[in-house]
Amino acid sequence: MAEKDLAPELTLERVNVAPAQTWNRLRTNDITLTVPARGRKGDVYFSLPRLFEGVECGMGREVTDWVESQAKDARYVEVPRGEKREEPIVVAVGSGDVTDTGVMVRAGAEVTVVVAAGAGEKDGEAGTSASLVRVIAEAGARVHLHEYVGVGAGQQHLESVGISAAHDARVDVHQYLLGGGTVALGFACDLAGDHARVDLGCRYHAGGTEVLDINEIVRQHGRNTRSELSYNGVLEDAARKGLRTTIDLIHGAKGAQGNEAETVLVLGDDVVNKTLPTILCDEDDVAGNHGATIGSVSPEQLAYLADRGLSRADAERLFVRALYEDALMHAPCDEARAVVEAGAGTLLDEEA
Amino acid sequence: MATQLLTVSNLSAGTEDKPILHGVDLAVGAGECHVLMGPNGAGKSTLGHVIMGDPAYRVTSGSIEFDGADVTELSADKRSLAGIFLSYQAPVEVPGVPLYSFLRSICQMRPELKTTARKFRERVGAIADQLELDQGFLMRELNVGFSGGEKKKIEMLQLLLLQPKLAILDETDSGLDVDALGIVSRGIQAYREQVGGALIVITHNTRILERLEVDRTHVMVHGRMVAEGPAELIADIDRNGFERFEKCEDCGGCPMVGDAE
Repeated sequence: MAEKDLAPELTLERVNVAPAQTWNRLRTNDITLTVPARGRKGDVYFSLPRLFEGVECGMGREVTDWVESQAKDARYVEVPRGEKREEPIVVAVGSGDVTDTGVMVRAGAEVTVVVAAGAGEKDGEAGTSASLVRVIAEAGARVHLHEYVGVGAGQQHLESVGISAAHDARVDVHQYLLGGGTVALGFACDLAGDHARVDLGCRYHAGGTEVLDINEIVRQHGRNTRSELSYNGVLEDAARKGLRTTIDLIHGAKGAQGNEAETVLVLGDDVVNKTLPTILCDEDDVAGNHGATIGSVSPEQLAYLADRGLSRADAERLFVRALYEDALMHAPCDEARAVVEAGAGTLLDEEA
Repeated sequence: MATQLLTVSNLSAGTEDKPILHGVDLAVGAGECHVLMGPNGAGKSTLGHVIMGDPAYRVTSGSIEFDGADVTELSADKRSLAGIFLSYQAPVEVPGVPLYSFLRSICQMRPELKTTARKFRERVGAIADQLELDQGFLMRELNVGFSGGEKKKIEMLQLLLLQPKLAILDETDSGLDVDALGIVSRGIQAYREQVGGALIVITHNTRILERLEVDRTHVMVHGRMVAEGPAELIADIDRNGFERFEKCEDCGGCPMVGDAE
């Protein structure tokens, strides 16, 4: 116990930094995290090929360096040209685990990557886990990324993703962030090639005093690239959420389009909900849109749901339950399913 | 004579600043089919919502008795659980809640409808097929992005699933093409046959009534019930419109037009 107390720690001062900053006093520009810093003297480990160093990750360089210094081994997977990999690549992250994964998807290949963080954890267990996933998608590649995060109330989880998409590559991302003491997620996608596209759907739930911090960046370098980012979350009690989304329409990205939209349902009086949507534009012939709907369940919705037998409390519970059911229905593997079931607690008990 | 299911007595109601219903009386027996007609703005939809317990309206006098109990002060969710169903003219969109989750939840609220997930899926699937509703829709968000016709079919899906004792259909036929109208009509007919529940059909369109055996017809003008009669009154209104009823209302407090006109 004494040894644990004395474990060295490191403070990462500026994590999940949005590319364009706003007033510091709003405290939405970044988050500061304290993480363990175990020495690795004497370890033998593998690093990813250097090619992955050029992939921008959502949580920033500092977190990438920290994960590389803490992960026991880096895991490298290559999907050969034109091959459709049937079995998903599953990154299962348990309490205290730090993983570093690199996936090379060769031209025309297809792969599913699943990050499942938190399955089997017990509430009350304290610790920090992290996952770093970097993907290089070559021309015409297809990448399906599923991120399921639901760690314990005493846990901190860092999840950083970086994807580079070449000509005509397609990336779809399904994020389910189902709570945890502190969950920080960063996602960066570089649509480097013409006609590359990313579709991202993020659903989140935070309650109690949980902290959720999300930073997502799409750089659109290629012509006629497309990004569709959609967020839908429920915040309860005194949860704190920060969401930074940036669509960066870079000079030369003619015909590029980017859309981002967020719907947040606030169910607690002490919830802190901050959103910083940004569209950066350095090209004339592009289109970028963003929209946000933040609020409680509307009187019209409550009236409609009441007419079907649901009281206000039932209606609010329905929104949370629907999120977990959606996560369960779309879970691509048992590890992801286990994360949802552990996070849902009694919410899904009636499903038997 | 059917057992009395709904009794609305001398009901006056409105929004905070505007009275809409004035001393309305309406009696519906168990299993009966009543049609409520009237010109636009007569207060028909308001009456439906007030019976359902919509908090947007305030009852200033009178009472609503349902299934032997006074429900005037009861909240809408409790009235729903007691067996009243209101099909919306414009169903509300609820983003973030898949239709399937919603249906599952509203059935779980009713002990008589609680079942296993598997049996529930089968039941919902069968009703969706009956209404020619793509089962893929069940995974979509409640009423979000659906066409007007699809939304009405989803209302019918809920009606058949919940099997209420009384269904108030508020212009369920509005905005439907001929095919969709046929499907919805068959849904209503199925409700009558399978559940044997009572109906209050609020409509301007007599086509939706073609498959129904109507027990009574009511005419409402300016928030007042001005006429009541048998099914034949519908054909009369279809031919002659509401003008004579409106005249009736203008004279202020004239006796209701009875069965014998």
